[in-house]
Amino acid sequence: MPAAITLFFQAMFARSYARVIWMFRNRTWILQETLLPMLSVAAFAYAYRAMNAPDRFVGYVVLGAAMTAFWFNVLWSMGAHLYWERDSGNLELYIMSPAPMMAILAGMAIGGMATTCTRAVAILVTGILIFDAPITFEHGWLALAIFLLTLVALYGLGMMFASLFLLWGREAWHIVNLLQEPVFLMTGMNFPVKIFLNLPLVIVGGALFIPLTAGMDALRQLLFTGTADRLMAIEYEIAILAGLGVFFLVAARWFLKVLERKAKIEGKLGLRWQ
Amino acid sequence: MTSHLRTLKWSTWLGWQVESNWANPWLFILYLVVKPVTGSLMLVCMFIAADMAADAAFGRGVPPEFLPYVYVSNACYALVGAVMFGMSSVVIADRESYRMLKYIFISPAEFQTYFLGRGFAKAMEGIGGAIITLLAGLALPGIRNSLNFGNMDVGWLVAYLLVGFVMLWAAGMVLASAMLNMSRSSMFLSEGIAGVIYFLSGVVFPLAILPSWLKPVSVCLPTTYWLEGMRRAILGPPPSGSPLGQSPIAGWSNFELLLAMVVSTLVLVTAAQFFYRWSVGKAWRNGKIEETSGM
Repeated sequence: MPAAITLFFQAMFARSYARVIWMFRNRTWILQETLLPMLSVAAFAYAYRAMNAPDRFVGYVVLGAAMTAFWFNVLWSMGAHLYWERDSGNLELYIMSPAPMMAILAGMAIGGMATTCTRAVAILVTGILIFDAPITFEHGWLALAIFLLTLVALYGLGMMFASLFLLWGREAWHIVNLLQEPVFLMTGMNFPVKIFLNLPLVIVGGALFIPLTAGMDALRQLLFTGTADRLMAIEYEIAILAGLGVFFLVAARWFLKVLERKAKIEGKLGLRWQ
Repeated sequence: MTSHLRTLKWSTWLGWQVESNWANPWLFILYLVVKPVTGSLMLVCMFIAADMAADAAFGRGVPPEFLPYVYVSNACYALVGAVMFGMSSVVIADRESYRMLKYIFISPAEFQTYFLGRGFAKAMEGIGGAIITLLAGLALPGIRNSLNFGNMDVGWLVAYLLVGFVMLWAAGMVLASAMLNMSRSSMFLSEGIAGVIYFLSGVVFPLAILPSWLKPVSVCLPTTYWLEGMRRAILGPPPSGSPLGQSPIAGWSNFELLLAMVVSTLVLVTAAQFFYRWSVGKAWRNGKIEETSGM
């Protein structure tokens, strides 16, 4: 195997190792990452019950909470991470080392996916057991495939964010904050996005540009309701997710090159608090 | 007193700069608007989706008074988040990110007043966000019909806001004090408390629907009284026969509600002061005020 490929995989596994091993060294995550999302699940589940909504809506909230874990991971542990690495002094080491930055980002993504999958499963199981959400695994394998496709697109977006947030500097913190509620709204984190069909097409198109929208709509169809609350057929959503995955990965690579070029020209990549 | 006022003035100024000068004013205003409004619009979408589905499944939609209830509640809760969690995040940001907490601690500035000032800056942001959210709600017919400013009880609104701010400051001090002796992972504590308050204070659902063993816990929280009071002052009481009127504190008068809030706030302020003094002493002895965890 060529040395460059070996180095890529070594760097990728080394970076993901740090993320995965954290789960075993700091067990407080079980409380933090399972109990805390359950509180918002409980609030929204009771809200739907108070509104006399059908039981499947509680399932949507549980699924939304599980997928929220991935979105937070993409924002904080992918997007904002290079910015934090700069603040802690590691970014210069990454840049100086022979390991490609794309491998570092891929390692962050794989490690993040692995740890967040554990949390998401814990949230899903706890939520379904506590709130008795009517879930079905009749199309479990297809649901798993769509879930993985969603993750590829989502973490591709996270890899792109990592370079962008570093370029945006101190605004990154606020941008990460800003990308929470608006994204929860646009992706229909706690409700079926079918209600957007009455809105202008550009809004639906904007929502579909975030992989969570198509991914969750497809998963809701497969795990909870069939087609009752769907935005579009699953086949289209698979195509959208595949397209987004390719697009975001290519864009991540391109932005990384922009970042490296800018760093060389301006020489201030390592400057903190800017 | 002069020293406290000076610290308050400059920490509020500093807090406002930290919050706002990362972007040009227009982008910052957009940030102020987008976050709270979209958070509330998500609840509106939940209401619309539930209404459509309930109508299709059971032939009757969601009672219309639910929409203003959740919308106004959520707008007011933004203030809880801004003040309480803003004050506690100051400890982490100043200690871990800016590495300034130790200098502030040894400076002549009053340490507790410093947190209050930073909380004020967050409160301005929170109040701005809440007002903008309520005004944005006027664009939605379901909310516009209920948000009749002529029926708004300004006197009670001011009373609830004043006592509420003291309550939020005290709760924020408890959190900030706890943070002094914890590492940066303590942000999870803030999120946990936020989740508990959001759930148990009945921000997005009437307390009547909670399991009976949780209702007493809910009624012990000052935020429950505050949110009930704010809703009443802004929207008036729920229509008779509405499920929203079955909350355990729905039958209380405004005076009883304010009294409960004042008493629970006094308890909280006393506890916060004791806890703050104990926490600062412990953090100082253990070197926690300058300890960073590699953020």
